Amino acid sequence: MSGPSKGVAANAPQAAPGKPILVVHDIVKRFETPDGILTAVDHVSFIVAPGEFVSLIGPSGCGKSTLFNVIGGLIDGYEGAVTVAGERLSGPHAAIGMIFQEESTFPWRTVIDNVAFPLELAGLPKAERYEQARHFVALVGLAGFERRYPAELSGGMRQRVSMARTLAASPKIMLMDEPFAALDEQTRLLLGDKVLQIQQELKQTMLLITHNITEAVQLSDRVLVMTYRPGKLKREVEIDLPRPRTSEIVSSEAFGRYVAQIWGDLREEASRGLRDDEQHKLERKDHP
Amino acid sequence: MNGFAASARSGLLTRLLPAALGIGSIVVLIGLVEALIRLGLINRFIVPMPSEIFLAFPRIVVEENVLSRFTLTISEAFSASILVAVFGIAGGVLLHRFTLLRQATETWVAAIAAAPLVLIYPLYLVIFGRSATTIVMMGFTAGVAPTVLKTLEGLAGTRRVLINVGRSFNLTPSQQFWKILFPAALPTIFVGLRLGLIFALINIVGVEFLINFGGLGQLINELSERYDLAGTYAAICFVVLVSICVFVLMERLERWLRPGD
Amino acid sequence: MAEAGRLSATTGRPRRGLLRPVTALRVGIIVAVLATWQLLSASGLLYRDVVPSLAAIAVALYATLSDPTFYFHLATTGYEIGIALAIGGMSGLAVGIALGASKLMAKAYEAYLYYLGPTPKIIFFPVMIMWFGVGAGSKVAMGAVSCFFPIALNVAAGMREIDPVLIRVGASFRANTWQMVSKIYLPAMRYPVINGLRIGLGVALIGTLLAETKLSNRGIGFLVIQAYSLFNMPQMYSLLIVLFVISIGANALIGRLGGLRDIKQS
Repeated sequence: MSGPSKGVAANAPQAAPGKPILVVHDIVKRFETPDGILTAVDHVSFIVAPGEFVSLIGPSGCGKSTLFNVIGGLIDGYEGAVTVAGERLSGPHAAIGMIFQEESTFPWRTVIDNVAFPLELAGLPKAERYEQARHFVALVGLAGFERRYPAELSGGMRQRVSMARTLAASPKIMLMDEPFAALDEQTRLLLGDKVLQIQQELKQTMLLITHNITEAVQLSDRVLVMTYRPGKLKREVEIDLPRPRTSEIVSSEAFGRYVAQIWGDLREEASRGLRDDEQHKLERKDHP
Repeated sequence: MNGFAASARSGLLTRLLPAALGIGSIVVLIGLVEALIRLGLINRFIVPMPSEIFLAFPRIVVEENVLSRFTLTISEAFSASILVAVFGIAGGVLLHRFTLLRQATETWVAAIAAAPLVLIYPLYLVIFGRSATTIVMMGFTAGVAPTVLKTLEGLAGTRRVLINVGRSFNLTPSQQFWKILFPAALPTIFVGLRLGLIFALINIVGVEFLINFGGLGQLINELSERYDLAGTYAAICFVVLVSICVFVLMERLERWLRPGD
Repeated sequence: MAEAGRLSATTGRPRRGLLRPVTALRVGIIVAVLATWQLLSASGLLYRDVVPSLAAIAVALYATLSDPTFYFHLATTGYEIGIALAIGGMSGLAVGIALGASKLMAKAYEAYLYYLGPTPKIIFFPVMIMWFGVGAGSKVAMGAVSCFFPIALNVAAGMREIDPVLIRVGASFRANTWQMVSKIYLPAMRYPVINGLRIGLGVALIGTLLAETKLSNRGIGFLVIQAYSLFNMPQMYSLLIVLFVISIGANALIGRLGGLRDIKQS
């Protein structure tokens, strides 16, 4: 029922041999709405191998945020199973680190206190957790800002703090829901560089939910394209661009071809979404 | 009708000009009143000359034990504030925790916050007599409802994403409350405490004035009953000044406790 | 499945039903409070008449509501508050608009309003008596001074919250001052103005009533203090009940007129 899917790529970079970190198996999620039952996710399956960077891309309304919440363990009531590091999911899993789309830094804590949050929860003594937290603050490029408050930082910097906070928990896989959506294009590209750098250094497995094709191709080893509602996997695209990468890759020919290919798939879905949305709004007007 | 002209001027002038305008116009107004009274255009038995009022200040301070009265009023306000803070915040937390209770009683609390509770003071007089207890209870009664509402508002208004961050870290309900909900709600809780204090102080000084007992409120009442015009005006100014100081202090305290905002 | 639309998507509880849990709880609380009251009254724990029996209060309530002079006093207080709100409201609106429209004005004067606002206005009463006499004038003055501050401050804040683009639209159509105020500022500020009026009503009520308790021979405040001095507790309770019902009702009415969904919104 899902689109033509391929197995794990033979040349996935730095893929450790052995079990995949994340197995998403046949997820179906439906919602009750005033207009009837809505199927947000319709039999979606994929896996993520250790060290991989996978992007999930789709038009608005394709259920990717629902999938984010399902994998993150924030919602239940779905069919199918999510397995993380061999364990079946039943609520937020310690091996999954989540980064949300909205501002999520704690405004009442300094940068270092924000980042040390998971270490605090783990019960580490103060000196030790500050030392570890400082490492992650430096990793995201915010060294020197430890004692500042989020209100003193820019949006991009705050997202980096959220990232450092999640990284401090040493998750096996980072799950990110359009973390750069609120930023301008140039900042996004530069932050993308940062993310690539971090991923390189930590060999961190990452799953990114996005609607930005450039971003997906820039950062990923594999891109999973979703259809419009009900969300299914339409296509899996191997991104065979060299690693290590920087944002300069966006000017290469191969990059352009990948973007064109993915847009070709997406455009159809996106226009379906647009038509559907307009139709909906029109109907609302007629039945006040 | 815009401030473009003001902002076009140099930085220093922009900063000084409004303050100068404000203070300047008040000085001018006082001078005008003084002049009109001396000219006989304003009845000096209704409005004493500002210069007389100014001279009355030291007299009042010395003769009327202003310091001890001030201490009395402040201590009443302090006691009432403690009660307001404890019961107000606890009430708000309780209502947030028990959804059914909140749904049942929130509108009632809002109604109480809007009602002229001060008229209950004769009742407190009967129960507690002409004492400081009546005054403190009056302050507490007036200040607790707005605090409950604001605490509730702050807790309920915590941004969804922050709650989700907590859930993603698998926080226990207790951790979720102390590490996320409460800190996130603190700014609004402070607004509630300030509102509660305002209501409490208004009622405290008001009831002191009405029942002729206590500190500064009583002072004004006494002076007016003695027809000490300049003294009455001076005492009123003094109370206004005290009220202003209390709230400026409260704001400083707030800013010190919450450096993040 | 036809009922599916009726079910709450989150709780699945039916929306209709004879005894919703919320209603049950409310009834329960009211019953508990009344029962405690009656017990306290009968037990004689507190000084004599401080907690009269529910029956005594009911009798007094009936007596109050059927006494024509009560309505005379009610009308007096109502009239005083009405004028106070009008005076304080109009001046508060004007000053608020002036402060909101001009950064210079705001920086110069708003701080004074902000810090004078929380000051208990009853202390100005002796001055009001001197200026406006012992009759309705001083009560109206008290009410007007009380409600001026919250209204002015709320309106000023409301002005600043107006989306600046709307003001530019007005300017681009060369609207004059009156047009700007009536067609852009006021409609855009509906909620803050209504809210300011609600708070203003509350404090005007307090100011006027307190003035009546202090020095008057008419009005609800006067009746309350009279009941107290005669130690007619049931009468005092009945007056307080009527007063609270009216003030809460007026508050809700203003809110409803302004389109706020319920009294909670502020």
